[in-house]
Amino acid sequence: MKTFLIWMAVICCGAVVFAALWPRQAVGGAERRALAEGRTIIQYWDRHQGHEHDMRLVLIDEFNRSQDKIYIRALSVGFNSIMEKLLTAIAGSAPPDLCSLESTMLAQLASQGCLMPLEGFMASNPEFAQDNYFPHAWESVAIDGHVWGIPTTTDVYCLLWNKNAFRIAGLDPERPPRTFDELQQYAEKLTIRDGDTLEQVGFIPWQPWDMTGMWGLIFGGRLCDEKGNAVCGNEPALVKTMEWQQSFAADPNSANNPPYAMDPEAMSSFTRSLGAYMSANNPFYSGKVAMMAEGEWQVTFIPKYAPNLDWGVAPLPTPEGVEPMVMGWPCVVDCIPRGSRHPNEAWAYIKWFYSSRPGGGPSPASDYCYAIHNICPRKKDVLQERFTSNPKFKVFVDVLFDRKVVSLPSMPLIQFYTDELERQRERVVFRKTTPKAALMETQQKVNAELERQRRFVDLSP
Amino acid sequence: MANKRTRAYSRAKWLPHVFLVIASLLFAAPFLWMLSTSFKPESRIFPQPGKPPQWLPTTEKTDESGRRMITCQDQPGVELRVEENGMHVLLVGGKELRVWPEDFDIQQQFGLHWQNYADAFLRMNFLLNLRNTLFICVSCALGCIASSSLVAYSFARIPWRGRNAMFVLVLATMMLPYQVTLIPMFAVFSKLGWVGTFKPLILPAFFGVPFYIFLLRQFFMGIPQDLSAAARIDGCSEFGIFWRIILPLSKPALATTGLFVFLFEWGDFLNPLVYLQDDRQYTLAVALQQFQSAHESLWGPLMAMSTVITLPILILFFLTQKTFIQGITLTGLKG
Amino acid sequence: MTRHERRDLRNGLLFASPYIAGFLLFTLYPVVASLYYSFCQYNVVRPPAWIGWENYYALFFDDPQFWKSLYNTLYFTAFSVPLGLVFSIGLAMLLNQKVRGMSVYRTVFFLPTIVPIVASSVLWLWVLNPESGLINGMLRQIGIEGPGWIASEHWSKPSLILMSLWGVGGAMVIFLAGLAEVPQTLYEAADIDGASRWMKFRHVTVPMLTPTILFNLVMGLINSLQYFTQVYVMTGGKGTPVDSTMFYPLYLYRNSFYYLRMGYASAMAWLLFLVILAATLALLVSSKRWVHYHGE
Repeated sequence: MKTFLIWMAVICCGAVVFAALWPRQAVGGAERRALAEGRTIIQYWDRHQGHEHDMRLVLIDEFNRSQDKIYIRALSVGFNSIMEKLLTAIAGSAPPDLCSLESTMLAQLASQGCLMPLEGFMASNPEFAQDNYFPHAWESVAIDGHVWGIPTTTDVYCLLWNKNAFRIAGLDPERPPRTFDELQQYAEKLTIRDGDTLEQVGFIPWQPWDMTGMWGLIFGGRLCDEKGNAVCGNEPALVKTMEWQQSFAADPNSANNPPYAMDPEAMSSFTRSLGAYMSANNPFYSGKVAMMAEGEWQVTFIPKYAPNLDWGVAPLPTPEGVEPMVMGWPCVVDCIPRGSRHPNEAWAYIKWFYSSRPGGGPSPASDYCYAIHNICPRKKDVLQERFTSNPKFKVFVDVLFDRKVVSLPSMPLIQFYTDELERQRERVVFRKTTPKAALMETQQKVNAELERQRRFVDLSP
Repeated sequence: MANKRTRAYSRAKWLPHVFLVIASLLFAAPFLWMLSTSFKPESRIFPQPGKPPQWLPTTEKTDESGRRMITCQDQPGVELRVEENGMHVLLVGGKELRVWPEDFDIQQQFGLHWQNYADAFLRMNFLLNLRNTLFICVSCALGCIASSSLVAYSFARIPWRGRNAMFVLVLATMMLPYQVTLIPMFAVFSKLGWVGTFKPLILPAFFGVPFYIFLLRQFFMGIPQDLSAAARIDGCSEFGIFWRIILPLSKPALATTGLFVFLFEWGDFLNPLVYLQDDRQYTLAVALQQFQSAHESLWGPLMAMSTVITLPILILFFLTQKTFIQGITLTGLKG
Repeated sequence: MTRHERRDLRNGLLFASPYIAGFLLFTLYPVVASLYYSFCQYNVVRPPAWIGWENYYALFFDDPQFWKSLYNTLYFTAFSVPLGLVFSIGLAMLLNQKVRGMSVYRTVFFLPTIVPIVASSVLWLWVLNPESGLINGMLRQIGIEGPGWIASEHWSKPSLILMSLWGVGGAMVIFLAGLAEVPQTLYEAADIDGASRWMKFRHVTVPMLTPTILFNLVMGLINSLQYFTQVYVMTGGKGTPVDSTMFYPLYLYRNSFYYLRMGYASAMAWLLFLVILAATLALLVSSKRWVHYHGE
């Protein structure tokens, strides 16, 4: 019995010793100085990781050195698990003072009331005037009359094509398809088979990204009405989008498939090799896919991973009879969670980050976009010479000014909605359902969930 | 007759080896692939479509006149010859194509790409992350062995009323997916003021972990009851039996427990990420994500660092499995 | 209660006290809270609102994906648990021989368990690639056109089962530790009786291993019904193609942290809990008949 008590005591002591041994926070040199100076420490959670986070650190360091009141302590949470970390922290009432998010999550969090509206802070500051921003970027943060975040980066999608494949197929390498009909004709000519195996594919609408909702917008449709309800089931344009995507996949039960239609399983093997997206093995880089809809970062990555590829970039083809539009992917935004202990200091950082540097120098935000090869959401920023001097990058910039930009609506369930569209798109392509039925199902599912959420919104203050 | 038997005997001796070597290759493949990837420059990491991956970065041999010939598996027909004067000659299909001067970066094109390791170590605060990880792993392993063995002893060797129900409860706590308990769990640690420290990662291990309680219970149940009975007659207390008889007889099981706790904590990503609030507290598994960003992955350095952090576990396993043999003789003597 | 029983109760509770304390401190609240959430509309941010059985009702009658994911997970479990068990016993027997260099072999067979998932997933995606992958490449050499493996709706689950077999290192180690506890005297006795190798395996090794078999069965069941990480990494959390790898925990995860339907996810979690509990209890009850504890 005595030894037993000793054993228990050893366990308890061990636990206490281990807990006590480690300091609460391993404080670094710069931060210790900041604390000694009596600065306010701001916790910033970055959804970025890797070199994208590194660039953030460089700029945050510049901010920390630019004044002596505030010290930003940045933590790279990463995009894999930012929601786990952020949601547990919000539920446990320990949110960070400042954090970066994808705007598809922003609408959801804003509608649940866990972000701080920022319009009070930015009142009459010309740097944050709505007109400065591309409309799609601004709309992704301005929801229900409030501004919930400041867009950091945005993406735009254009058509990339392999000029060599065009030459081999007897197409003019300098003239990309301009309409959807042309796109399909080109895709047919660019698809090369050896028996049953695909040697080269012309175009797969969902490769490398599944963008059913966005294609629907390009077809002139809408995803939700003014009240924020899903309406895809009754939108002819979305039905057309599904039919168009389905037409790229062969129907196993039919004998007369169009010549460019491919076995859906063979196509899905194209899209399934993790790690290969950013490598010489990317099917576009290696010449296995001749055309794709891709974002502006490829301008930097293609020369790096496929220096010998002869490629071009042009605005996306558009369907006949519809105003030509371009896809803008919402963006990454900075926001202040409700419960932030130092919202004013957090805003001071945001203000610094997004404003032009004293003397008219470029804003730190544009440095950031430049470093991670993205488009600036602010028109003025992206017109800087460093962005437009590359003729290929300029195509991405110009199209934002020339065409109407469509983007996903900022409704609370947008993630749920687009995931469901993506799932149904796959079912349509594999002929598990019809386009019309798939969209009806999506609409019902999204609206039912909206209904559930709305029922309880009033229950709490 | 004797001859036949010897032959059969020797066959019996090498047959398992043949089988084991073939199976080993199958099982070692991911590690070998990771190792070989860690030595490749970014451009050669993924196999060319339709071609087998290259396992060895390069092979080197000398030709008839004693010059070094370097070949690269994933570029068939391409060879590099090092001339006596230090010049590098590129041969394609046997024809001399290009000549590079002595300072040609042979490593970049043909050799082991050690740069990945340098990049990997520069990219993260390795020693700090290692210290954090070791601290968590060692304290969890000690705490878990000490507490779980006690609890397991209670379930295995003491016939108290209600122990079966209690045991089912222990098992049941493993059956609820972590996704739905993560948030209330965080709330508990937040109330205790432990968020931002290592406590939520370490202290629960000191209160017994169901998986290991179950594991050790199974092993303790297998130890003959007569041993306890004899000790009881000699006036040994319950704890004395646990300490002097059960624990020494369960070394393989205890070693396995330690190994598993270590392995689990070593690779755990989500808990450190959720509970730690400062990247100077991050563990190796969390820091590893710094090699990937939204649009780009640094596969070379990622694989290099993965290799580095796999090695300690490898060594630990090598040492642990030795206790499995020890167990046989111990139980054999007493049982 | 006799004096003996009282002493046993006291000692039993005393020895189990670390767990009891830990349970009350760390586990009880999260478990009860998640049960409560399962009857609530709860989206993490706002306080939960009681809605009774609505989540369960919606799962059962309104959500075909729930049934699909349950089917996928049961399919996976039905194959991976028994196959994994046979496979790991076989490996452990093989690695328990007295052969030179056995420690190295054992280490090699444990390797897949310790390689980080990012690394092994990339390798498997390449091995299983229908076009340029290793397996189909080899099959093509002997004139067979292989299936689509991970890209195929019908082969994706078998592919993942195959992968899971390759990670049996953990169970193998536990069996090795179990084999180490088999008293040598039993084999000596069997030798005297002139037992063949098979008879020794059947009548000495297997009965002596039953406690470990029970352990690995129960844990295999719990783990494979919660099989998540590998498939999350390999499909980017999407469960493609056509929901064929949308496993139950993956669907649960999407509901909880993608869509903030925490109440719904909690209901899913508790249904899964009931399934696992029922299966485990059945195993435990049946174990009285087939598990042999040498100590008793």
